[in-house]
Amino acid sequence: MDDIINELKELEELTIQCMKCGTCQAHCPLYQKDLEETTVARGKIALIEAVFEGRIEKASSILKHLDYCLLCGRCKINCPSGVKTDEIFLKAKAILRKIEKLPTWGKLVLKIVIEKPELLAKLSPLIHIGQRFGSKKIKKNILKPLISSFSERNVYPIKSKPFCSEFGGFHKAKEEKLRAIFYPGCAINMIFTDWGRKIIEILNHYGVSVYTPEVNRCCGIPAATLGEIGIYKNMIIENYKFFNTIDAEYIITACPTCQYGLHEMGEKITREYVKKKYYDIMIFIEEVLGIELESITDEKITLHLPCHYDQSKEPKLNNVIKKLGTNFAPMENRNCCGFGGTFNIKNYKNSRQIGKTKAEEVMEKGYKKVLSPCPGCVMQLTDSIYGENLLDVEITHPIELVYDAIFKKRQ
Amino acid sequence: MLYKSLVYKFKEIIKENGTIFTEEDQLACYSYDAYAEIPVLPDIVVKPSNYEQIEKIIKLCNDANIPLITRGAGTNLSGGTVPKTGGCVLLTTGFNKILEINENDLYAVVQSGVVTANLAKAVESKGLFYPPDPGSMNISTIGGNVAENAGGLRGLKYGVTKDYVMGINFFCPEGNYVKSGGKTVKLVTGFNLQGLMVSSEGMLGVMTDITLKLIPKPKTSRSMLVLFKDMITACEMVSAIIAAKIVPATLEFLDNFTINTVEEASKIGLPTDAGALLLIEVDGYEGQVEEEFSKILEISQKMGGELKVANSLEERNKIWEARRKALSSLARLKPTLILEDATVPRSRIPEMMRRIQAITKKYDLTIGTFGHAGDGNLHPTILTDRRNKAEMERVEKAIDEIFEAALELEGTLSGEHGVGTAKAKYLEKEVGKGTIIYMKKLKNGTDPKNILNPHKMGL
Ligand SMILES: Cc1cc2nc3c(=O)[nH]c(=O)nc-3n(C[C@H](O)[C@H](O)[C@H](O)COP(=O)(O)OP(=O)(O)OC[C@H]3O[C@@H](n4cnc5c(N)ncnc54)[C@H](O)[C@@H]3O)c2cc1C
Ligand code: SF4
Ligand code: SF4
Ligand code: SF4
Repeated sequence: MDDIINELKELEELTIQCMKCGTCQAHCPLYQKDLEETTVARGKIALIEAVFEGRIEKASSILKHLDYCLLCGRCKINCPSGVKTDEIFLKAKAILRKIEKLPTWGKLVLKIVIEKPELLAKLSPLIHIGQRFGSKKIKKNILKPLISSFSERNVYPIKSKPFCSEFGGFHKAKEEKLRAIFYPGCAINMIFTDWGRKIIEILNHYGVSVYTPEVNRCCGIPAATLGEIGIYKNMIIENYKFFNTIDAEYIITACPTCQYGLHEMGEKITREYVKKKYYDIMIFIEEVLGIELESITDEKITLHLPCHYDQSKEPKLNNVIKKLGTNFAPMENRNCCGFGGTFNIKNYKNSRQIGKTKAEEVMEKGYKKVLSPCPGCVMQLTDSIYGENLLDVEITHPIELVYDAIFKKRQ
Repeated sequence: MLYKSLVYKFKEIIKENGTIFTEEDQLACYSYDAYAEIPVLPDIVVKPSNYEQIEKIIKLCNDANIPLITRGAGTNLSGGTVPKTGGCVLLTTGFNKILEINENDLYAVVQSGVVTANLAKAVESKGLFYPPDPGSMNISTIGGNVAENAGGLRGLKYGVTKDYVMGINFFCPEGNYVKSGGKTVKLVTGFNLQGLMVSSEGMLGVMTDITLKLIPKPKTSRSMLVLFKDMITACEMVSAIIAAKIVPATLEFLDNFTINTVEEASKIGLPTDAGALLLIEVDGYEGQVEEEFSKILEISQKMGGELKVANSLEERNKIWEARRKALSSLARLKPTLILEDATVPRSRIPEMMRRIQAITKKYDLTIGTFGHAGDGNLHPTILTDRRNKAEMERVEKAIDEIFEAALELEGTLSGEHGVGTAKAKYLEKEVGKGTIIYMKKLKNGTDPKNILNPHKMGL
């Protein structure tokens, strides 16, 4: 027990940065809904401090509050004091995991993470920044709640042939200028395989040769959010090993959470790094390739910015989309879509409630295309928007429009 | 720890849609506010869902002698919501409805848990204006604003929260419902009890509904940044603007240390050798704004200020960034930040700044000062590390001296953050013994058992 407290105390360097100003209240999607301090970053940090400063006896009692979190990072982005909330939460969970052992279902998930990448691929899109998986309500059979709660949803089917089995390997461009690794992540590997194919075609078209892994190794974020930092670390190192064997300058992702897991948080946790540049596909085509695009639609288009998207790149992302359509405006409601991986599975009602506010804006403004460069967001937005019966709205990754613009697929 | 039977009574009261917290982990989330102080856990936290529940909770606390601490967003900077000796924390965050915005009679009625910025936005969409804009407006509640008499950047021209309070309904410490003020501009029936609620810091009643005055939204505005070699010239510029019979909506300043910190953190192109920076915004009708704006330009040129003028919304945002980034840039320098708000008459700012600099040197501390030059409200921001005991002792002494200086210059301990526990020990020095006695009697008379937020202001 004392060990736990001492280990938590090591987080003091990070927690002391929090001046308890409460600014995170305005940005936390869960606080906005619950209006209770236990949900917001300030409260969570205060709890960790309360344990190592001896105000709370039962250290394990704070784990459920750390688990009730979308890990959306909004608190971190908007914190005036620059508190690294994500790092604090992940590390604290990893420490507390030692006293509050994973329940059986959790072990099962991790078994899958390590030993059964194919099966994990099916689950991971749903738990990519997952949390609340530790809730008591999920009993032993993790698949059961997944299935039963999915009956009422608008979801994409899982493809029978994963992207990596079909497209794994080297795709050489005709006039090669650059070489890049495309890391598909679980969602593109299993569900949005088409996006992956289009990304390869686009890159090849502009002289970028593309490597794609033959087996998709998870970025490990699901393990991290379960407090299994050790496993997360191993997954990252496995991925880094693969990256290092490839002769390419760039690592391209099409899911901000993957990039966050591999790059930002990955480097922090492993203290290792790969000498390659990480790029989101949208920013890659704008910043590195500088592709000229012609407008292909005058329908009303909007964009939902994913939580883990590098916010400083937002103007560039907007730039690309502005080129694609004449009638574009970013979403006014800048909140998280409410997906949050397992948060969606476990707290479907809460998650849907947050998602609904997005659908309402789409309805009000009459958007016909809703874009988001994140598979999780696209899944959640689809569910929320179709849930409100707005069936003529197209919800997708902006790369699909880019593809159409390049290859003149629509008018 | 409360007896089980008492907890049961609380549960009975709020069983319909209310929330109750009794576990230590939940309680720990209500043991602090934005003032750096040692947290204290309450015994119970309740989030009632209707006014009847509030009434019953107050009465129960009275019967059972349990301190009752009303809490909005918990962003006050004076320890006002820390349950010093435990007790019951009552959350108002669930009471977040804007009940009415009246465009004919220019007022709004809101529940006390409405977040300030949400009111401001709702009002603005109707072409009206609720001016008080504390830096925390995206999170603070109207109840908290009234209880602390919150100010903001627009104080000079538009006043502070108290200038907009028309009426308040509240529960007195014994649970009776009190209606004060109303919806008419003129109203003289009975004591000005809504005035009593202003700055009451949760000690004289629990507010439920608040009626606030609204004004028409200014048609347009213009901003500029002026940089000066030294603080004195900057202050002279402020005086010159006022002497020219211009009242800007905003007149903010940053000292050299803060300018440097902002520039280092966000590279927005501020000259780091500038002694002071003024952010000025005038608003009103177009013609008047243009006229005032060019007059101020003239003044600043005469005084040798270096100018940056905003000609578009984008440029305005850029100009404002320097001020907006002040607190956050300072906050990143060191682990602990102590935000003071000593206030002096406008003309004494240079003297006060000199004193603060001397104090900084004497105690070997890091202090950046920014604030509202227009109304003399300074924010000397002490950057330290609360784990460093020796330095914290020096910090305490420095704060003592800052307060002394403010009082000597005919100012006040606190322009907008309130007394709470943070400034309780200095209060008598500013207001005198007679005032403390009167306050005590007032508190004692309305709250004989000292249930509502005890120990704050030393009462
Ligand atoms: C980053 C930051 C910037 C800030 N900037 C400013 C600023 O520019 N100007 C300024 O004036 N302040 C500022 N503040 C201080 C703070 O935000 C204000 O004091 C605000 O009014 C507090 O509102 P709250 O809802 O958080 O109240 P709380 O902190 O919850 O409560 C404050 C006091 O009000 C009482 N109270 C709350 N609601 C009620 C009610 N319904 N009935 C009776 N009593 C009640 C409480 O008991 C307590 O004593 C700032 C704070 C921060 C953290
Ligand atoms: S915004 Fe940052 S410093 Fe402020 S309370 Fe939240 S985490 Fe702490
Ligand atoms: S990560 Fe998101 S959900 Fe979690 S505390 Fe921060 S803002 Fe709230
Ligand atoms: S799906 Fe996108 S917006 Fe939603 S939680 Fe994940 S990253 Fe955030």
